[in-house]
Amino acid sequence: MTQFHLPAGSRYRDVPGRSHPAPAGAQRVREFRIYRWDPESGQKPRIDRFEIDLDACGPMVLDALLKIKNEIDPTLTFRRSCREGICGSCAMNIDGVNALACTCAIADIRGAVRIFPLPHLAVTKDLVPDLAHFYAQYAAVEPWLKTRTPPPPDRECLQSPADQERVDRPSACILCACCSTSCPSYWWNSDRYLGPAALMAAYRWVVDTRDEAQGERLDALEDPFRLYRCHTIMNCVAACPKDLNPARVIADLKRRVGDRQH
Amino acid sequence: MTVNPRPLSPHLQVYRFFPAMAVSILHRASGVFLSLASLLLVYWLLAVANGPDAYAAASQILASLPGRLVIAAAVIAFWYHLLAGLRHLLLDAGIGFDLPVARRIGFAVVALAVLAAAATLAAAWRYLDWS
Repeated sequence: MTQFHLPAGSRYRDVPGRSHPAPAGAQRVREFRIYRWDPESGQKPRIDRFEIDLDACGPMVLDALLKIKNEIDPTLTFRRSCREGICGSCAMNIDGVNALACTCAIADIRGAVRIFPLPHLAVTKDLVPDLAHFYAQYAAVEPWLKTRTPPPPDRECLQSPADQERVDRPSACILCACCSTSCPSYWWNSDRYLGPAALMAAYRWVVDTRDEAQGERLDALEDPFRLYRCHTIMNCVAACPKDLNPARVIADLKRRVGDRQH
Repeated sequence: MTVNPRPLSPHLQVYRFFPAMAVSILHRASGVFLSLASLLLVYWLLAVANGPDAYAAASQILASLPGRLVIAAAVIAFWYHLLAGLRHLLLDAGIGFDLPVARRIGFAVVALAVLAAAATLAAAWRYLDWS
């Protein structure tokens, strides 16, 4: 059953957060409100406030998080790696929209910067959510090349530039989970709905001209929940840090599933 | 060390509201409302079939102020649901997935629904028997 409210133990306004004021003499101060939860504290989540001197901080939200971790509170926990928008590790909810902290400029946000973990997931600690289910859904679309015909003995299985172009865009997905966890339909139905990221991955193999399991792949999606829980709310399109359009891809999959039945 | 059950991260509570979200949730809400309002139509048809007395009673209820308000709401919901359904038809045809286009279609659906409902209610107003 769809539950709009957070369970009692997940509410984040019940426990007062800690405040870390800016150092004296700071000129350009910006407040960061960050979701905190420590599994060992025995407490509910809380919101901590950090005042950051932007003159002594890099331009991106990730720079501010690193500054906080290095200089103010080393217990602040978050995932990050490449700091240039290609690994997808630092996906989180920033100023109400899912984004990568490393490609999200502090200057583009007005007022206090509110940072939460990706929505509607079990929190492991602070800004780190549990993505095991998300990855399992990726695995469920069997994201590898499937062929029946053996490759020619004298050469590789060739692909034209035009054929490769069909795959280029969907393969640009970095599996950061920004799209899936922005989707209200995924929030309420993620136990059965695959979500935009996994469907984007499915599409990537459906349009690959070398793949010979297109029919099986489409049949596996033909299900009231796996594919059709997309109601074109299009939060995924607004959230994708790689400017992909999962909503259009899902509509294309729906049409292909329909075409197969006639 | 006590290990708590892990909390659920905030979702509706923190997510920014996009116009496309409103178009979608209103589509569902208007659909639910229309389903309930159709019971009113069934009631009216039953009253028609049950003879002059039942019909007079039903007319009185439907013509009361709350009755008129529910009918007006149903007219708005009808037009909105119809137009938002046409939007889904466009989407199924692959049209309207670019965010600026989606935004324009969404606003057009809301504006046209309001206009069409106003026209329908104005027409009904003229031909209603107010005696």
